[in-house]
Order: sequence, then structure tokens, then C-alpha cells
Amino acid sequence: MLKMYMTFTKKAFIRAGAYRFEVWSRLFSNLIFLLMWSSIWTALYAGNDEAGGVSFQAMLTYIVVSQFLSGINGAGTPLWEIQEKVRTGDISLELMRPFDVPTRYLFADFGSVAFYMITALLPVYVVLFFIFDLSLPSTMHTWIFFIISALLGFLIRYCIELSFGLLTFWLVETGGVEDIFYFSVSLLSGSVIPLWFFPSWLETIAMYLPFQGIYFIPNAIFVGEITGSDLYLSLGVQFFWVLICFAILRLIWRKAANKVVVQGG
Amino acid sequence: MGIIKYIKLYFRLVSAGVRAQMQYRFAFIMRIVGMITAYTGTAVTMWVMLYQFQQLGSWNFYEMLFLFAFSILSWGFCIILFFHFRSLDTYILNGTFDRFLVRPIHPFFHFMAMKFDVASFGQFIFSIFVFIWVSGVLDIGWNVEKFLFLIAATIGGVLIQGGLLVMISAIAFWTTKSEQFYWVAMYPARNLTYYPLVIYPKVIQWIIAFVIPFGFVNYFPVSVILDKDVPFFPSYIGYLSPLVGVIFFTIAYFIWMFGLNHYKSTGS
Repeated sequence: MLKMYMTFTKKAFIRAGAYRFEVWSRLFSNLIFLLMWSSIWTALYAGNDEAGGVSFQAMLTYIVVSQFLSGINGAGTPLWEIQEKVRTGDISLELMRPFDVPTRYLFADFGSVAFYMITALLPVYVVLFFIFDLSLPSTMHTWIFFIISALLGFLIRYCIELSFGLLTFWLVETGGVEDIFYFSVSLLSGSVIPLWFFPSWLETIAMYLPFQGIYFIPNAIFVGEITGSDLYLSLGVQFFWVLICFAILRLIWRKAANKVVVQGG
Repeated sequence: MGIIKYIKLYFRLVSAGVRAQMQYRFAFIMRIVGMITAYTGTAVTMWVMLYQFQQLGSWNFYEMLFLFAFSILSWGFCIILFFHFRSLDTYILNGTFDRFLVRPIHPFFHFMAMKFDVASFGQFIFSIFVFIWVSGVLDIGWNVEKFLFLIAATIGGVLIQGGLLVMISAIAFWTTKSEQFYWVAMYPARNLTYYPLVIYPKVIQWIIAFVIPFGFVNYFPVSVILDKDVPFFPSYIGYLSPLVGVIFFTIAYFIWMFGLNHYKSTGS
């Protein structure tokens, strides 16, 4: 079973290799946004070594890690492509095949993400860490927690993005819906502004939503803002959201698949 | 054909396009709602960012919002007139571009008049709302000169952004690719200019001022209107915005025409 899904991963990896231009253009725009957010945070700190108890070095590291993770999260099947598959009916063809569609998409994403990460993101970001004075986690322990947390974040994002994409089965026009998704993933996830700089009411709201699990938790672990027993708690929160988001995805998927059957394809 | 005839023809082609789009009224409204949601999202992000810090390179929240809305205003006109240029590659690949060459109308004009995207109402609603709100807070002191300058700078901004779209589309004549270049070059460049240029490294500021002159779309003219300093640049630079627009668009037009002469149909 797993072997079959791994084939999709392999295929996606090879396919990503054929679109060299895509990889470079994606990397280029990722770096432009890194430039933008690191400039913004440099200007916000305005020469101060720390703000709100967080050092400038930690903040800069936070943004670089965040941009790295958003490169990874952006390398999978994007929302518009899922919507397109629903609109054109491509997705219903997949229903006839002997595999589970959400799982197949996930494994295909692993392949394209792996290719993009190995050939583009990792080399560039390793160099960035050497050029700029950024803080690396000092213990192996933190590294392991960061990697697990980033992976859980990836799964949360995947479930939410696919769920939003599947809403296209019911909504002909998805204008406002997808913008709510992009806004939540960019602001409430803490991808560009860490939650500790939010107004406290907004921080509370963000804490009760799944989006913080995508970027804020892994970033904060990396820069050492989450330590000790809080590490386990944070991973627990992320794991909780993976389960919830996965359950929602399964529910939406089942309804969507039934809908296709009712309409006769 | 005389210029008057061209203008008449433009409105004829455009009104046909508008009528076609209005057939899908729900889609039309949802796109406007989507646009306003997206821009409001960016504005909220700016607000949260400045909640603790108050200032970004001597710009406060309302000044930044004005800067942002100024960019969105000219972008709204740009969508109406030029946004479809980015997908010239699709027309070339499908072979549908050839029909623009066999009619007795100027091909650049014909391609430009082919589409008139009315959904940019979202941009207008957002930017005008922000202008009214921020004008009250910042005490801008609007007078006739300032208002005329706002219009001139907006035209400059439309020509600069439209010029870049035209240049990007011209790449398709050589490589049959253009849409991707929009997402690689123009989309990130537009995002950079949502924030005051003063925060970027000098090299980047210089590039955004003189290579891809997006600084003239909002940062320089808004600095004139709000009476802000523009470090590293002469203080009068904002007034050059309309001129830069005309020059940049003219260059873009000639590149497009040059590419057109180079173009050979894909034969599909």
C-alpha cells in the first residue's frame, strides 16, 4: 500500500526536475519576500538590540526560518490548482482509480517538495545562515523538535489547503473564500509577525486556531522562544490540530466524493 | 484611421467585453469581494505590525496605508487596461494571436482593447475608502494643486505598471512565455512597494527607482503629498512621476512592436 503511494512521490520528484524554470522562479520570488520581511524587521527594530524581550538576532532568524518553511509549504499543489482540478472535473476521474485521492496528493506533494528543497531551498538557506549572523539551535534536542514541529505544520497546512480547495465542489466562485485562506495562513500563522507582537486579544484568538501550528510553533522552537516542557505542549497542540484538520478534510472529501456520484460524474 | 475613430472603436470593443462579463454577475461580485478581502488583509497585517512598534522607518500606520492604497489605485486602472497582456503567451501558443494581425487595426491597440476587466472596482472601492479615511486622520490639506498632482501621479503609475506588463508580454514573442515572468518579476516588485522604500538596502532602492521604476508609482509621489523625506534621493523626485511614466511606457511600446516584427506564428 505504502509502496504504491511512494511511486507517486517518486514520479512527482522526477516531474519537478523537468520544470527547472519553475524551480528558479519560485526560489527567486521566495528570496524577494525574504528581502522584504527582513528589511521590514530591521526597520522596525530601528537599531535596537531587542524589543519586547526578543533579540534582533532571534527575530531575524525567525523570519529566515519562516521564509524557508513557506518555501516548503508553497512547493506542493497550490490551492488554485486543486480548484482547477475540481472545476475541470479532473478530480472525478481520479475517483475511479484504486487509491485514496487526498493521500495520493499528499504523497505527490512529498516528491515535489523534496525536489525543491534539495536542489534549491537547502543550499541557498545554508549559505544565508553563514552570510548573516543568525542563531542556530545549540542542541540536537532542539533540532529534532524543530523538524517534527515543521512536519506537523506541513500536515496542518496540507489538510486546511485541500479542504479549502474542495469547497469548490459547492461554490462556483471562490473569490472571497480563497482570500480568507491566504490571509489566515499569512497573518494568523505568525509567518511574518510572531504572535508575541500581536495585540493580546488577537494573540488569544490566534492561539485557539490551527494556523499558528504551521509557522509560529516551529519558528519559535528554532529560535529558542519555546523551551522546556512547553516543547511537548506545543507539539501536542500541533498534533491535536493535525487530527482535527484531518478529520475535517476526510468529512469534506467524503461529501464531495458522494456529490460526484450523485451527479453521475 | 484617425485617432477619433480609434477612440470610438475602443469603446465599442470595450462595451462588448463589459456586457460579456456582466453575464456572470455573481462571479463579478465575488471577485470584487475577494479583492477587497485580500487588500484589507494586507492593511490589517500592517496594523498588527505597527501595534507595538508605531513606526516603520519614520512612517506611521496611516501614512503606510496611504502609500499602499495609492499603489492599489493605479493598479486598478492598470488591470482594466493592461492586465491581460501578461497572458499573451497563451494567445501565441493557441494560435489565436494571429487574428490580431489580419485585421485592419493596429495590433497593439487591438490587443489592448480586447479585454476590459471591470472587476477592478474592488481596487477603486478599497483605495478611495482609504483615501477618505486617512485624509481625515492625517490632515493632508487637499487643495487643487495637490489633487491635480494626485491625478497626474496616478496616470504616471498606470503607465509605469502598464509599461512593465507590456514589456513582460513582449518576452512571449521570443520565448513564448510571459505569464510566468509576471509572477517572478512583477508580483514581488509590486509587493516590495507596498512598504516605504527607505527600509530597503540602497542597491534595492536604486533598482526600484531607476531600473524597474516602481518607486515612481507610489513611494516618491506619496512622499510629496504627505511631505515626507526621501533619503538618498532629491526631494523633487516625486514630481517626475508622470514624466517617468510616459518615457517608460514609450520604451515598452517600442519593445513590443520590435518583438511583434520578430514574431513568427507557432503554426498551431
